[in-house]
Amino acid sequence: MKRLNKLGRIDRSQPVAFTFDGKAMTGFRGDSLASAMLANGVKIAGRSFKYHRPRGIYSAGPEEPNALVTLGTGGRREPNLPATTVELADGLVAESQNRWPSLKFDLQSINSWFSPFLAAGFYYKTFMGPTRRSWMFYEHFIRKAAGLGRAGEQPDPDRYEVRHLFADVAVVGAGPAGLAAALAAAEAGANVVLVEQDFMAGGYLLSETQDGEAGAWLAGMLVRLAGMANVSLMTRTSAFGTYDGNVLGLLERHGSRSADPKQGEARQTLGLLRAKSIVYCTGSIERPLTFANNDRPGVMLASAARIYLNRYGVLVGKRVLVAADNDSAYSAAFDLAAAGAQVTIADSRTQPAPQLLEQARRAGVAVRTKSTIAKAIGGQSVRAVLLVEPSGRVTLESDLVAVSGGWSPTVHLTSHLGSKPVYRQDIRAFVPGKVGAGQFVAGAVTGSFILGTVIDEGHRAGNEAFMFCDATRSSRARVQRDPPKTDAGPGVVGDENPGLREESPLSPPPEDARLSMQVSDGVGGKMTLAKGKAFVDLQMDVTVSDIALAHQEGYRSVEHLKRYTTLGMGTDQGKTSNFYALSAMAGLRGMAIPDVGTTTFRPPFTPVAVGALAGLSHGQHYKPFRRTPIHDWHVSNDAEMLETGLWMRPWFYHASGHDVNEAYVAEMRNAREAAGLMDISTLGKIAVQGPDAAEFLDRVYVNGFAKLPVGRARYGVMLRDDGIVFDDGTTTRVGDQHFFMTTSTARAADVMSRLEFLLDTAWPDLRVSVSSVSDEWAAMSVAGPKSRDILAAAFPDLDVSNDALPHMGLLEGRYRDKPLRIIRLSFSGERAYEIYTGASVGKEAWCRLMEAGTPFGLKPYGLEALGALRVEKGHVAGPEIDGRTTLDDLGLRRMAGKRSGFVGEVLGRREAFSDPERPRLVGLRCVEDGKRLRGGAILFRPSEPVQGHGLGRITSTTYSPTLDAWVGLGLLASSAAQEGAELIAHYPLKGEAVRARVVSPTFLDPKGEWFHG
Amino acid sequence: MANGSDQAGLGIASQDCGIVQFDGWHDARARFEADLAPRLGGHLPKKVGETTYQHSKLVVRIAPRRFWLISDGLLPPIDIDPELGCMLQLGEGRVRLGLSGWKIKHVLERCVVVDWDSLQEGEGVLVGFHHVPVLLLRTGSFQCDLFVPRSFARSLVDWISDVSSGVR
Amino acid sequence: MLQIKCPCCGPRDHDEFLYAGDASVSRPAHNDADFERWYRYVFVRENPAGAHREYWQHVMGCRQWLIVERNTVNHTILSVNFSREALA
Repeated sequence: MKRLNKLGRIDRSQPVAFTFDGKAMTGFRGDSLASAMLANGVKIAGRSFKYHRPRGIYSAGPEEPNALVTLGTGGRREPNLPATTVELADGLVAESQNRWPSLKFDLQSINSWFSPFLAAGFYYKTFMGPTRRSWMFYEHFIRKAAGLGRAGEQPDPDRYEVRHLFADVAVVGAGPAGLAAALAAAEAGANVVLVEQDFMAGGYLLSETQDGEAGAWLAGMLVRLAGMANVSLMTRTSAFGTYDGNVLGLLERHGSRSADPKQGEARQTLGLLRAKSIVYCTGSIERPLTFANNDRPGVMLASAARIYLNRYGVLVGKRVLVAADNDSAYSAAFDLAAAGAQVTIADSRTQPAPQLLEQARRAGVAVRTKSTIAKAIGGQSVRAVLLVEPSGRVTLESDLVAVSGGWSPTVHLTSHLGSKPVYRQDIRAFVPGKVGAGQFVAGAVTGSFILGTVIDEGHRAGNEAFMFCDATRSSRARVQRDPPKTDAGPGVVGDENPGLREESPLSPPPEDARLSMQVSDGVGGKMTLAKGKAFVDLQMDVTVSDIALAHQEGYRSVEHLKRYTTLGMGTDQGKTSNFYALSAMAGLRGMAIPDVGTTTFRPPFTPVAVGALAGLSHGQHYKPFRRTPIHDWHVSNDAEMLETGLWMRPWFYHASGHDVNEAYVAEMRNAREAAGLMDISTLGKIAVQGPDAAEFLDRVYVNGFAKLPVGRARYGVMLRDDGIVFDDGTTTRVGDQHFFMTTSTARAADVMSRLEFLLDTAWPDLRVSVSSVSDEWAAMSVAGPKSRDILAAAFPDLDVSNDALPHMGLLEGRYRDKPLRIIRLSFSGERAYEIYTGASVGKEAWCRLMEAGTPFGLKPYGLEALGALRVEKGHVAGPEIDGRTTLDDLGLRRMAGKRSGFVGEVLGRREAFSDPERPRLVGLRCVEDGKRLRGGAILFRPSEPVQGHGLGRITSTTYSPTLDAWVGLGLLASSAAQEGAELIAHYPLKGEAVRARVVSPTFLDPKGEWFHG
Repeated sequence: MANGSDQAGLGIASQDCGIVQFDGWHDARARFEADLAPRLGGHLPKKVGETTYQHSKLVVRIAPRRFWLISDGLLPPIDIDPELGCMLQLGEGRVRLGLSGWKIKHVLERCVVVDWDSLQEGEGVLVGFHHVPVLLLRTGSFQCDLFVPRSFARSLVDWISDVSSGVR
Repeated sequence: MLQIKCPCCGPRDHDEFLYAGDASVSRPAHNDADFERWYRYVFVRENPAGAHREYWQHVMGCRQWLIVERNTVNHTILSVNFSREALA
């Protein structure tokens, strides 16, 4: 192996320093890591998965099965990267994988000795019967040995983003077909996004020499496209999946010029490209040949040997054996010979085309026909090959075996939405099947391998894609975009190319006969001709005999074959192995290949970092936060804030106590004895307006609202269609045709959608408008014996006397020239007022209340105290209204009275809901000193065994300072629910069993005297 | 609120804004619009997202039968015949974020699914931003307004600033 | 990512919408007391493999309720209408 002085699209004037396995090496700008490794003489790039056999670089693209490296350290550590797709950058630190202590001498290669026991499916057959228990011992070692690279364990410090893109025509692949398609569509007027996974555009053309006609065509196309403002060429961007609606998933990689991204720059960006049409020009991947020891370092794909030579200027071998069953490998042979290698072609066909043989003769390349490669000979690298010919077996010296078993079109993206690929016997390959509307295919992916045809197809597909969009596009002028980029992009190294004429001929170069696929006469898929492991899936270490074993054991469908042998399940997803496997299985089953079919293609085509899928949506950006207008006051007054859904709410205030348990008791006590102030801005609020608003509310609530007088509020309960309680809240009549509805915080959005649903679909004739006004109003509740005094002090211009503002009454006014509503109602059981102000003055109003109220003992209280107060008062809330309880369960049947025609009424009366064993709401009081009740505890009679679902459960609990006892609400079967009955509350998670007595749920002030008068 | 994050390349200014909402009943649509149009100073926008400007006040059609009148200052009371529709003051619940700067396209394509290049000046689009419903209004080549719910405003400004810091 | 063409907002990603199930079932009148009709409306579904008429609400946009005809096997969307117009 050596680097030549000429050839290659690398920039020899820009050396790049990197290390591989600790060894300092140099490459050039334009190298991939793999080409630089080869130039530095690296023969062994890794050790295989199971058998730890030495492996060399096998390909020049993302289909690479062997040369997987780990880049980076610490939180940037990234394993399992194919060296063939890593762009060489200054300071790159690469490590090989799956070997210890070194690549050259790997202790685990001893696994090879156990290979008869490590065949496909071995883990389904070992550790059964008498050895069953030893699994727990061996599992530790097996787990350590499993896998290829090792994942990093520190947080990833890099930035990832998600962005949204649009295009008329998306073209996948910037090879000859894709470039032609992009240009055609762009010239017709489409906005085109052309994506290319490589860091250089050109695709197949990059395996040709730069100076030839193909190279000139490529250069010309890139200049042309760069000058068009309606074309965006994205290199280093993989299209990893096709999604419904012609949406492409893209992964853009940055941080390429240097090893790590610049400060603030995203390392990878996930792009969701919404295209009106897509042209797939994804090319094809060369297939290997299968023979004994075909995995030795020094065996690689013929096209790869050619790419390393023409694109990277690296001659990978001196005595080359090209083993092929088709014409395309001859191009590699000729180029390698022209670069000075001694080349022999072993063609398994009987009669290759005469013009090819003539070309070979002129190039000084020996051709052996009817010659099938049987074995690669060598330990850590190839040194000879064994050929089987009609005359007998022949051994030839060789340090590079370049194999070609044909080409498999890269159909994956065309198949992601379910279109099944179709088999073509003439090229012995699968091509895309019937693709969806607005999807087009062109080039090698369709089985066309002649360059002229490929370019024509691209051109035609680009036009068809444009016409598809044109039919659906709206005729609006696009806003002036930024001036066209002048940088031709990284695709062309050496932008000032003196060889390029001013008017480059952009018509395609003459037919390239070397690309034609004359298919061999039926070789391939046969069993091996010599002893030794013949690998099918190099990455997963699956051999030909494993496929035979799977067939023998009955795993014969391709989906079973895959999962039983693990073939195709590695990071390369079987790109170089799937075809052989299914054709081998077809042979074993005596079926035609199309009848055996392919496994299902699923995104991603190449791996996508999880960080890229998350983008910026992690940590504090995982979800958006909602803050009330009073938020800053809570924070600066030492509230412990809690995330409840999307809202940040005060849980308790540190001034109240050391921890939550101390604090909530203090806050509760203060509210019962003096007054407490609570931020309830998070309540859902909906404005219901219109001539039919009253009728509408009568239908959605179980209790009536049509007769509610203006200026009065009423507590309401809504059911679901199936009769289960949906939500509760208070609705106030603000005007004749205007109601102000509140809902629970948690169900605000659901209630809103439900109301809109009923108006749009069930009762479209009702003239009702519903609008969310949750954020319009800041809301706070003053609760406690001193609440009225405090309110009067805070709003001296308002009459808040009992006559002016009775229980469930509304007072309207202005505060700081913004709307003000005061509704007198109680959630806590105390006399309480809910004060609603325009959100922009909410914090001011809060401060006003605190200022006026502090002399009366007003203190703020948080969520914990709020929950405790309402439990003490026996009010049901979320834990009781949990989507499983009915009106009768919650003791709310009286709200419906004799009414009918409300949502949920009919199914709410079904038989099962009146079952006497159905749990109903009760109060519970702990009767054991020093013990407490817990929400979720299961209730049993003292005499009963503790098993099964018991008689009910505790739903909410709190310590009551007023009663100096733990109390709670629960749901209990009626048969056990006599007041005074004693129960055991079991909490298995903590192994607790506590005695509790059934009491009325209204623990305090049963007559409701506190909040009246 | 004062100016939010002022990264070079993208300025974010946030202010309160007054909105008045007008809803027309489905069976009185034509009469409702004929009645409303002159009261709002002329023509009403025809399509959802379209806007018309009347005396420095903006009218946008939010839904097939719903309009918003948006203004920085005080809005006159406009009563609607209950047989035709209804009116609702929405002055407090939204914050108007003004974004401007050369980074705007880069930032917006990381916030909302909107084809900025196809969005005309004066055109509005209702869209989700980090799963929050907002109104995006293009006001210039490198300018737009985002009307966001007040409770989400700070969170969304944080997101925009974070995105903006990633552009070089 | 399904693209749903809202009649007034244009094509949007499906995550701008709220899904609410089968739209082919007919809801009894609000004061219909027939248990069987309510039971069928709430609980009984055909669940076809193929064209399915279903409710979606454009919650990130115009908040209109739509009736979408979608093929449950391959996600192809055949039609999108305002529910008010589709039911009229």
